[in-house]
Amino acid sequence: MVDGMNRRRFLKVLGVTGGGAAVVAGCGIGPEPTEKLIPYLVQSEDEVPGVPTWYASTCRECPAGCGILVKTREGRAIKIEGNPASPINAGRLCARGQASLQGLYHPDRITDPMARDAQGHLVKITWDDALGRLSAKVKDARGKGIVFLTGLEASSFGDLVDEWMKQVGGRHVTYEAFAFEALREGNRLAFGSAAVPSYDFAAARYILSFGADFMETWLSPVGFQGGFSKAHGFQAGRDAAMAKFVAVSPRMSLEGMNADEWIAAIPGTEGLLALAMAQVILSGHLGAAPGDAGRLTELLSRHTPAAVADATGVDAKTIERLAKEFAASKGGLAVAGGMAAQYPNGAEIVAAVNILNYVAGSVGKTVKFGGDLAAGGAGSFRDLTALLADLAGGKVALLVTHGANPGYSVAGFAAAAAKAYRVAFATVLDETAGAADLVLPDLHPLEQWGDSRPRAGVVALQQPAMQPVQSNARGAGDVIAVLAGKPGTFKDYVQGKWKAPKGQTWADAVQHGGAFGDAPVTTAHLGPDAAKIFPGKPAAPALAGDKGDVSLIVFPHYALYDGRGADKPWLQELPHPVSKIMWQSWVEVHPDTAKTWNVDNGDFLLLTTSFGSARVAAWVTPSVRPGVLAMPTGQGHVAGGRYAKDRDVNAFDLLPGAANGYGGRTFTVRASVDTTRDHRYLATLEGDPREGGESIVELLTLARATGLHAGEHAFAEEPLPEYADSAAAGWAAAQHDKASLGNYATQPTRWAMAIDLSKCTGCSACVTACYAENNIATVGEELVQRRRFLPWMRIERYFNQEEGRPVRAVTTPMLCQQCGNAPCEPVCPVFAAYHTPDGLNGQVYNRCVGTRYCANNCPYKVRFFNWFNYAERGGEHEAWPTPLDWQLNPDVTVREKGVMEKCTFCVQRIRSAEHQARIEDRSLKDGDIVPACAQGCPSEAIVFGDLNDPHSRVHALSEDPRGYHVLAGLNTKPGITYLARVVAGAEV
Amino acid sequence: MTMHAGSRAALALVLLGCAAAAARAQTAPRYQAPVVKDTARLAGPRQPIFFRHDIHAGQDQIPCMYCHYTATVSTEPGVPSLQTCMGCHLLVGGSTPSHQAEIAKVRKAWSDRQPPQWIRVHALPGFVHFPHMRHIKALGDNGCVLCHGDIAKTPQVAQVSTLRMGWCIRCHVERKITRDCTVCHY
Repeated sequence: MVDGMNRRRFLKVLGVTGGGAAVVAGCGIGPEPTEKLIPYLVQSEDEVPGVPTWYASTCRECPAGCGILVKTREGRAIKIEGNPASPINAGRLCARGQASLQGLYHPDRITDPMARDAQGHLVKITWDDALGRLSAKVKDARGKGIVFLTGLEASSFGDLVDEWMKQVGGRHVTYEAFAFEALREGNRLAFGSAAVPSYDFAAARYILSFGADFMETWLSPVGFQGGFSKAHGFQAGRDAAMAKFVAVSPRMSLEGMNADEWIAAIPGTEGLLALAMAQVILSGHLGAAPGDAGRLTELLSRHTPAAVADATGVDAKTIERLAKEFAASKGGLAVAGGMAAQYPNGAEIVAAVNILNYVAGSVGKTVKFGGDLAAGGAGSFRDLTALLADLAGGKVALLVTHGANPGYSVAGFAAAAAKAYRVAFATVLDETAGAADLVLPDLHPLEQWGDSRPRAGVVALQQPAMQPVQSNARGAGDVIAVLAGKPGTFKDYVQGKWKAPKGQTWADAVQHGGAFGDAPVTTAHLGPDAAKIFPGKPAAPALAGDKGDVSLIVFPHYALYDGRGADKPWLQELPHPVSKIMWQSWVEVHPDTAKTWNVDNGDFLLLTTSFGSARVAAWVTPSVRPGVLAMPTGQGHVAGGRYAKDRDVNAFDLLPGAANGYGGRTFTVRASVDTTRDHRYLATLEGDPREGGESIVELLTLARATGLHAGEHAFAEEPLPEYADSAAAGWAAAQHDKASLGNYATQPTRWAMAIDLSKCTGCSACVTACYAENNIATVGEELVQRRRFLPWMRIERYFNQEEGRPVRAVTTPMLCQQCGNAPCEPVCPVFAAYHTPDGLNGQVYNRCVGTRYCANNCPYKVRFFNWFNYAERGGEHEAWPTPLDWQLNPDVTVREKGVMEKCTFCVQRIRSAEHQARIEDRSLKDGDIVPACAQGCPSEAIVFGDLNDPHSRVHALSEDPRGYHVLAGLNTKPGITYLARVVAGAEV
Repeated sequence: MTMHAGSRAALALVLLGCAAAAARAQTAPRYQAPVVKDTARLAGPRQPIFFRHDIHAGQDQIPCMYCHYTATVSTEPGVPSLQTCMGCHLLVGGSTPSHQAEIAKVRKAWSDRQPPQWIRVHALPGFVHFPHMRHIKALGDNGCVLCHGDIAKTPQVAQVSTLRMGWCIRCHVERKITRDCTVCHY
């Protein structure tokens, strides 16, 4: 086709002819008819319209206490990022923290105080009325039992509740569905102290996790993950190294996916494994064991690798090898938690792992007592069951709840609590608040003052980032301060509690997010009970219940956690890091087990335990031990906002309601399984669990990676045939000529990215950051099932499964590769997909006519089509019902129905940095531009910059010997260089 | 208490600004804003208060950036807050009955705490991002007229440019500025 009509020209002509009439009629582009501009009366000094204002505060989505910076535009919070000054999370933030914005703008927030009318319905009342009723009830209930139930509060709010309860003769009970009873009791057994130490992952040279989901929900996941990837990420250079990571758990969690070795021990035998390793180390004098370790000789001699091999399901050789590796690293860190701390013998398992750390000489080095974590102050499940008994026995006249939802996670709570007068401080009518007699609308943590003491030495302050969304809501702290007769507001109370460190003022501390210090490390020695654990013959523990013969593990969902995340569409639509399932619950079944039951993906199973039953869809996966089932919590709400309510089943219903030996809750139960004839499509991101022969995620052994020198390339790309090269070059040159004008003519920039897969853990914080930054619509379960979701950034997960070799999961972030020779561009008939002079694959929404040719032609499948108008007010698929739309980023277009969209490399941030540089009469510096995904990444795996700048970090990384391009054989010349994951071990 | 600390024009600067304008007026021939007898003939939408740019910017020579001060640092020029108006109109009450009537509206809005609801004249669709500060930087403080017309002689603001893409591009071509789509569309 030299001069004639080619396909593109044909379509152009067609378009013009067909569109003639529409142009005359006007296509809606132009000034809005009568838009109003309403000025401020008095403009705040901090505020420049169009320029964001940042407020330092503290995340309250979990007790970890991460420091956050809230980005506000024109008085509205639109994005949350980590506070770099905070030692807890060092500037990074997980998906749950970022999604707290959707709690702030939740469309179903409570607007006014409510009380029951004569028919028992909740009706709106005034604050005066509400406070009058509450004071009267408090007066009335004195001496008859007053209980204030909160979540874990290591804060001034907790202190205030304590003081008020003391005044009125009540008690303050704290409840977390996933508390740390086993950890505290295990530490008491081993060291005689129930404190929860801090774990220095960054300093570790060998990491062993016994069930601890330290990158997902355990204690302080963002900080732990940052430390983990510092230690476990491959460091090139003269002393090339990485810490090996071994995960022990019957179910492959995010940690199991990242492990160099995943050991699927029999549930409940993790402690035996740890003791056997300790035995190898102590008897072989391999570690720097303190003098008193001799007291353990008898205990350990009963737990040799050979003695525990049968019980654990791990052969003795492997145990010995791991023990020797652990000791030889001279910087090992073993952690026990999560699943391993939720068995009936969880405390003993924690104690056993403590002993392993102790004999290897790690206590004081990587396990640091002194800088204790606030989790040590959490109430136990036994406290809650005691409260339940009191409630049922009529010993509690008034129950006040705040920040805890036992109505969801404890089956008998609602019935027991019905005898008391229930008052709830809440933002949404969840199970607990919805059943209350008096509901008081609380402010969201982003709207109120507060503080948090997540770790000894750290006081993180919380300040309002904006005016309340619900104008008639009042902060619980303010209300209680009045009731407790405190002078002033809750802010005054927080400020009064504040002890200024030297040289820091209150204003200073608020501006920077708090006071961040370190507590001195104290020594720990074996406690009196250390040698008394595991007295019997090594065997797996009896699980709770007596129905059936299958072990069922209930684990906290990474995003929905104990159910509190279920009301946020970003978290519902975040593919679970392991299962990739969204909006649904599931039960994990091993393929061998599934085969015996004749069950496939999406087939419903009826699980029955001694405590309850649930009908749940199966997900068949090699990531769980045969004969073991695993099910996440989080779904199955019967009350709450529109996103949580009536969705799937509640895994808590399958669990015992009584506390176990160490005062915790047992999350591993015996279950019987019945197959049903029902089936549904899993709402999943996954296309296929295997890579299908394509090397999307490349792996290198540590030995191979260490042997690579600068200039070498582990993954040589095949040279292209000449015709392909010249065609590509010609196309690219023509594109560039068309667009190189003005300031770009002398500025050959190519925006590019490097992603280090040895650091990336697949945690998916980047995915939520991308949703928040780029106004990406959530589409809901049904459209996900039809694969009409729009995740610009996704984490792909594959299982590498070969006969006779252990299962390995690999993950990689997949986003628009910003190809230099992009297949999407030449097929666009209207130039909506085109190449920008700075090396981006531009996507011009207003040009796009929705042919979807580009998506068809994209080999990476990273282009997404707007099948509906997700921004339509009251529409069937409305993604942002007011006030959720207040969160939308004003710098990014909200896409309409019928257009394509995809990752832009956060072009709005690029432009904004360019503007700023121009205003300041300077050039852009490397690091000026940080896309949302790179900013949020807890592992610092993503680096962005100008590939053509020889001094940029991304340029250096693009020449890394581990670097490769995904599907390089297609000659797309991607702008994203992946650095192969390095596996410490003999084979990959 | 925020991470961003901006310095803003304070109330005290108001009188200085007026004095500077008066000083300049002595050297240049003073523009006399016309008496408008028939507001119906003026182009552009009728605003809740008959704010006269020709008197403020033309006759009194108050620089554009005095009120629209964020245009040099932000994508948004900003609508002056009522406090900015009152900075002068606390004292300046108007010379003619018609002026006095309009200024009385401003004072009433201030005392009622009800800002006027201006009718928007210049609007771009949501998929266009126009950075004011980049354009002021390139064109200078008086670059405003290029798009907004000779505001200093306009009693009532009306849209004088089409604000369509072809109109944008023409200027970019003339000045050899990039025509890359993603400079504005993202």
